Amino acid sequence: MQNINVLVIEDRPEESAPLLDTLTANHYNVIGVARSFKAALELYHNNPVDIAIIDIFLDGNPDGIAFAETINAIPHKAKPFVFLTSSTDRALFERAKLTQPFSYLMKPFNELELLYALEVAVEKFYEQPDVFLGDEEDTIISKDYLFIKKGKALKKVFTKSIIYIEVEEKYCNIFTEEEKFVILISLTKILTLLNDAVFCRTHRNFIVNTEKIEEIIPSDNLILLSGQHKATLSDTYKDILKRIRTLK
Amino acid sequence: MFFLSKFCCGQNHTLEEITKSIEVKTNTVIELNATILFFKQKKWDSTLVYSSKIISVCNDLDVLDFCHFFRGYSFLEKKMINESEKEFKSISENFKYNYFSSMLLGEIYIEQRKFLKALNVFEKILLTANKKINKTDNLNRVKNNIGLSYFHLKKYEEAEPYLLSDLMIQESNKDTLNLITANYNLANLYYLQYKDDLAISYFEKAYKLSGNTDDLQAKQDAADNMAVVEENRNNYKKALAYRKEYEQWKDSLSNQNKIYEVAQLEKQFAVKQKQQEVDLLQIENKAKDVERNGLLYSALTLLILLGVTFYFYKEKNKTHKIIVAQKETLDALNATKDKLFSIVSHDLRSSVNALKTSNAKLLSNLEANNLDALDTLLQRNSGIVNGAYNLLDNLLHWALLQTKQSYFYIEPLRLFFITEQVSHNYKPLLEDQGLTFENSVLKTAKILADQESLKIILRNLLDNAIKFSKPNGQIKIYTTVNGGFCNLIVEDTGLGMSAATITTLLQDTPNLAKKENEDIIGTGLGVQLCKSYIQKNNGVFSIESTLGKGTKMIVSLPKTT
Repeated sequence: MQNINVLVIEDRPEESAPLLDTLTANHYNVIGVARSFKAALELYHNNPVDIAIIDIFLDGNPDGIAFAETINAIPHKAKPFVFLTSSTDRALFERAKLTQPFSYLMKPFNELELLYALEVAVEKFYEQPDVFLGDEEDTIISKDYLFIKKGKALKKVFTKSIIYIEVEEKYCNIFTEEEKFVILISLTKILTLLNDAVFCRTHRNFIVNTEKIEEIIPSDNLILLSGQHKATLSDTYKDILKRIRTLK
Repeated sequence: MFFLSKFCCGQNHTLEEITKSIEVKTNTVIELNATILFFKQKKWDSTLVYSSKIISVCNDLDVLDFCHFFRGYSFLEKKMINESEKEFKSISENFKYNYFSSMLLGEIYIEQRKFLKALNVFEKILLTANKKINKTDNLNRVKNNIGLSYFHLKKYEEAEPYLLSDLMIQESNKDTLNLITANYNLANLYYLQYKDDLAISYFEKAYKLSGNTDDLQAKQDAADNMAVVEENRNNYKKALAYRKEYEQWKDSLSNQNKIYEVAQLEKQFAVKQKQQEVDLLQIENKAKDVERNGLLYSALTLLILLGVTFYFYKEKNKTHKIIVAQKETLDALNATKDKLFSIVSHDLRSSVNALKTSNAKLLSNLEANNLDALDTLLQRNSGIVNGAYNLLDNLLHWALLQTKQSYFYIEPLRLFFITEQVSHNYKPLLEDQGLTFENSVLKTAKILADQESLKIILRNLLDNAIKFSKPNGQIKIYTTVNGGFCNLIVEDTGLGMSAATITTLLQDTPNLAKKENEDIIGTGLGVQLCKSYIQKNNGVFSIESTLGKGTKMIVSLPKTT
């Protein structure tokens, strides 16, 4: 599991300092603090940003909104963001709200408010509401990552690193090359959200990353995966054999 | 001296008979009906027009004969003798009333002084149609005309029997005028043959007869004839007497005409005068009408004007009332604002003053290196600053709420997280005051509210709960469900308040509540702000409290569906 990369866009050091403290204390990885619109764009394009915290006013101009508008305009490059503001001025909010999805954090804020705002922003951006805030689930699935709530903080897992998933009632055991962990998510949701060109169901309790398959032994109903992992192949899902390119 | 005699009697009967006999044919030709109608009404021109139409269209010989007859008769009436002659000539031999038309034609010839022709026609009638002529009138007329024709042709012997028979007939008819004419005819006949005695006897007869009539013209002619007769007999005295009589009749005739004319003129004049009077009256009437209408219009205009004035007056009164009401509210609001100002500045002044003295103490303690006291002093300072900050924050939001400048967006919210976030700030304070805090709001509780205003409400409620709590007290936040609403309850075990205080706090007026606990900083602004925001979030605010035991602040907000 990796920490979430946060880009902070805040022109005043005295305000960004406590923000950074809180973020690092909660295992967020701050990849940079931008003081201007230009610097923010540079940082954004040169780093793998997962989420941005944007102060609306940079040097007295609402450049923060301009930044959000800019990154929203680039397809496939948009990321979740949270507006930071000390005023609830209506005109300003009406403009900021046009940069959907809209989440904001009012200054002064405490630790809980910050973490809540970040979680809400991720939920809204990936259109999977009530994941972190409810009790039923704790994982949001994007194209590249699983975002998992661990304690107070958010973590991410690169989907490509998943070898296989074993489902156990409401829980899913995720096996990656490095580790094994449990997430709370329903099977149907994980099946619809994961890229089904890569992930295949082999058994009612197994979802396998086809790129990690090393050998399939149909007679034993067994799939051998990288890292000595094994998964079961049931008759119902034997179609998988046709889909996988095999060396002959 | 020559008198042509014509008979008018009997003619009408014959005409009626003719029109009746043709009416049978009206079905075949439409215009015939009109023609007959106009003929009966003696509208000769119209008759001519319609009959000419029929002639141009119709082929029925019978009908054509009738039409030619109508035309001939109409022309005759209009004294267009030549046209009339042509029409009568066009009538065929077979025409049922040929004798009548021929008779009229003969009379036309007489009129044209073509006596030979006339004689031919009449004799032909006598020869051919003797049996057909059932009306003796017409027969007599024909005979008379024959007599006249002979007379004019100077065949006096032939004329004599006809005229004599005519005289006999007229005597039996007792028609004085025709009798006179018959007498004249005979008289003229004999006179021209120089049988003066016979002639004179007829003249005298005629003269006597004329004495019986009222016809002035006849009297005049008789007198004239007698004058001429006496003159020829060289009996000048008598002639003169007759001449005088003639003059007398002539005068009376002209007198009669004059009187008639004068009467006519007088009548015309009277009519004119009446007409003038009528005109005058009409004009007067018109003038009266105009006057009446003018009055009516002016009355109407006045009424409308009055109505409009009344309307505007009422409108003005209404607006005036509104303005007065608005002024009162504005005054009240302004008073509240002034009061708020004074309380806030008073509170801030005392806070800052406390901070000032505390800082002085802090400095002196620092100089004296009394580090133990520093901690408590700093704690107190931060408490004072917190209170002042909350006050200023409320003041800001109050202002924003009044001016409606603030962003306000109602959305589904999870109550648990909001309460957690707000109470997070109070954790140190709660610990410091030795208060136990419990947030048992369910994670599933979702309400509809604006996030920032909900936070402000919660902040104020917690603030109050802490402020009015006794040491080692307890503060709880929890929810209960009540229909479509979720009740968020902040409960403390503090001082509590009286029912009167609750009512004043919950009053809808913007007046600020009086401070009950003088030693505790508070303006009542917080509660007012809560009330306003709860209302704006479509919620209900209520308070349950027992003096000395504690208070429950209840915020009911709509649940998400």
